[in-house]
Amino acid sequence: MRAGARARPSTGSRVPFAEAVRRRELANGAQLFVLENHFNPTLAVSGSLHAGPLFAPPGRRLIASVTAGELPKGTESRTKIQIAEDLESRGASLSFSSDSSDPLGMDIAGAALSRDADLLLDRLVEILRTPVFPAEELEKEKKRLVGSIRQQLDQPGVRAYEAAARRVYPPGHPFHRRTGEERIASVEKLVREDLVAFYRERYGAGTLQVVLVGDVDANGILDGLEKRLASWSAGAASTISPVPVPPASPGRETVVMPDKASADVVLLEPSTLTRPEPAYLACTLANSALGQSSLTSRLGVRVRDTEGLTYGIHSSFHATHVPGPFVVSVTVKPESRDAAVASTLDEIARFLATGLTPKELEEEKSSRMGKFQVDLASNGGIAQALDAAVYYGLGLEYLDRFPSLVESITKEEADAEFRQRVHPDRFTIVSAGSF
Amino acid sequence: MSPKAKVQGRKSRTRAPSTEHRAPSSKSFDFVKEKAGIREFCFRDNGLKVLLLGNRVAPVVTFAVVYHVGSRNEAVGHTGATHLLEHLMFKGTPEYNREKGTAIAAVLEALGARFNATTWFDRTNYYETLPSGKLDVAMRIEASRMRGSLLRDDDRQPEMTVVRNEFERGENSPFQVLYKHTFATAFREHPYHHPTIGWRSDIEGVSTERLKEFYDVFYHPNNATAMVIGDFEEEESLAKLERHFGSIPRSPRPIPAVHTVEPPQEGERRFTVRRAGQVAWCGLAWRTVQALHPDTHALALLGNILGGGLTSRLYQKLVETSLALSVTVVPWQLRDPALLSIFAPVRPGIEPAAVESVIREETARVAREGVTEAEAEKARTQIEAEVIFDRDSTDQVAASLSEAIASADWEWYADYPKAIRRVTAEDVRRVAAKYLTDDGLTAGVFLPKTEQAEAAVPGPGPEDREGRGGATE
Repeated sequence: MRAGARARPSTGSRVPFAEAVRRRELANGAQLFVLENHFNPTLAVSGSLHAGPLFAPPGRRLIASVTAGELPKGTESRTKIQIAEDLESRGASLSFSSDSSDPLGMDIAGAALSRDADLLLDRLVEILRTPVFPAEELEKEKKRLVGSIRQQLDQPGVRAYEAAARRVYPPGHPFHRRTGEERIASVEKLVREDLVAFYRERYGAGTLQVVLVGDVDANGILDGLEKRLASWSAGAASTISPVPVPPASPGRETVVMPDKASADVVLLEPSTLTRPEPAYLACTLANSALGQSSLTSRLGVRVRDTEGLTYGIHSSFHATHVPGPFVVSVTVKPESRDAAVASTLDEIARFLATGLTPKELEEEKSSRMGKFQVDLASNGGIAQALDAAVYYGLGLEYLDRFPSLVESITKEEADAEFRQRVHPDRFTIVSAGSF
Repeated sequence: MSPKAKVQGRKSRTRAPSTEHRAPSSKSFDFVKEKAGIREFCFRDNGLKVLLLGNRVAPVVTFAVVYHVGSRNEAVGHTGATHLLEHLMFKGTPEYNREKGTAIAAVLEALGARFNATTWFDRTNYYETLPSGKLDVAMRIEASRMRGSLLRDDDRQPEMTVVRNEFERGENSPFQVLYKHTFATAFREHPYHHPTIGWRSDIEGVSTERLKEFYDVFYHPNNATAMVIGDFEEEESLAKLERHFGSIPRSPRPIPAVHTVEPPQEGERRFTVRRAGQVAWCGLAWRTVQALHPDTHALALLGNILGGGLTSRLYQKLVETSLALSVTVVPWQLRDPALLSIFAPVRPGIEPAAVESVIREETARVAREGVTEAEAEKARTQIEAEVIFDRDSTDQVAASLSEAIASADWEWYADYPKAIRRVTAEDVRRVAAKYLTDDGLTAGVFLPKTEQAEAAVPGPGPEDREGRGGATE
């Protein structure tokens, strides 16, 4: 929260993020952002590149996540062990990941003591620019992935969500979920050339953004990044084609799994909401009153606190650049499933009928602004917030405008936007567990 | 609101961010000492201990109250009582309750606070991270529920089933099943035997009266430590603490001590759990020492060398060789002697015995041949870096400090980096040889049953059936 200042943050006036963040855009398109925060001798990195599953061939989406995961397995200059040894011996970390929750992006995350800033930047760029994807590393990863998919098959929450998404989103859609066996078959088919081809097609500076926050000299970091990145080609363009929202597929399914003491139920509807659109704030404010917290939201107060049917109940919009589903998930003792589902549907219907109460609206606004402050209390938190604001095209100014944007939401707006996107009669309801 | 979800490695901290050294001054609090930026005070009348740590990275503050009561203080018949009580502590006081529209969680949520409570072997903690201007609200709530919780039977009934679902969720996880069995097998007499969430029938059967007794025995200022970490003014915070906690009396009777001691283990112990599942797990654990024991720091280094990161010995021997999917090594640091545990999900097609064999060969090799100075130095640096990273956020500092004062004390926490720096490669070999012995071993496996459940009953209502068990999909 304290942008580039050494003085006490709570009494001094804060420099707006838009002013405090030093930024540089390179000729190849790479966007770099640095915020100095000298409180603690650490730094955090958050970044992304448009190389998510949306860009992999339909039916072989996992090429994107495996490519990201295999990046640090060896470069033209260093083996996987050398890279890991360099970072681990300094207590530093770097990770590259991509998963189905965000179809567009490949995420970069890193942390180091600030004395190791050069090392971290050096390895970050080396890994992005010169990965070699050793075939023997991919073979190991394939074995690990098959085991990991088997572990997921044992989790009722995963099984319920995947069955619901499979029913709603058609094959080829980035939110479609294949069965575990299909995914295992897909893993086993992977060859090194798949990763190399995907890397060639998608990786480049054109869609790269890197945010670094911490005890550093901003100009020094920007110069260091520019020196290392300037000669990287831009790579693929960042055009994002619209992804269609499928029609709802209402109905109920059960996935029977033996020996599960707790079952999971997922209620899912395809939603049109995306993260960049202005309605996102109003929709999530309304959702927060309905189901964001198991302790205080309406669903939590009814199904957990009053009726004692669950330990956890939660609703959310899976909104990114691509419109994902609205999902309610609840865990239950198997015998309590029908009661929990009935109460959940009833509570959502009540919420849709009356909308937010004035007290809820005020409390949710105040909560959102408090959380905003709390979330920006660490280098990592600030880096993620800046990264997301840029990634979704909201601009750094978004963080400065956030309190007034929240304050301006009206009950009518929140109710209308939420009602437009949530329809219990369109829910796909899937239970997974020992029924 | 949950028994601590993941096992913890110990963290501590080094730097003192505050340059303030003003003379301690308070009418009711005695200044006790200062180290690594942490300032300790004690409330003269009721014995409440207070720790202050300035961290002005943001206008945010964490307030936490740690009670020195955990599942360690329970016995058969009321296992899980500490945790169930922790849930009921959200249900209301005369000042904060749902009927008045001032439910604790609702008040905190409206402030945007990050808040919760957790129960663990040696402690229960309640914490709030919130904008620093709202510190007073967090203090009022914690003061209100220190002695004023309503603990109504009408609240216990639905909350018991909430907790039971929490228990059931844990039973779905092979890792949690394995770790509960490991402690239950390694400890026969000491209360670390039972899990913090309790046994199912105790969760269902414990009475509200029993929970009230528990509350009346352990929830007093002289059995608690309050912490203020982040952006605050010291004198103002002490004055607020005095206003909210000052009139709460100390306990009428001494807080009972736990006197049960686990006798030495005199031979290897084994268990097997067979349950439906997809992946086998292998778990090994050895009896070790209490957090305050001088060997704690060498065991921490041993844990990092065995399992800390991709370059660690067991990652190289198990994951790189495709025998296991991952490996987790935890040198447990608790109030009483605990364990060093190693858990690994076994790659399908591999015999769990092969994983166990590699782990035992590697631990024996460390005991026999020791570790290199480079390995020791990497582990020291990793632990020291973790300590510094913790300082990035007030709630992370609060979490680490809570564990430290529960299992040792805050000075142990402040001294931790220096103690880690003093550990030699030979110390690591020595503790491996001393503790990772065959007689001190508990070894367990989770074996997935291959047959599917028979005659599963379809749920009522219009449904399309989707598959029956993991392997058929």
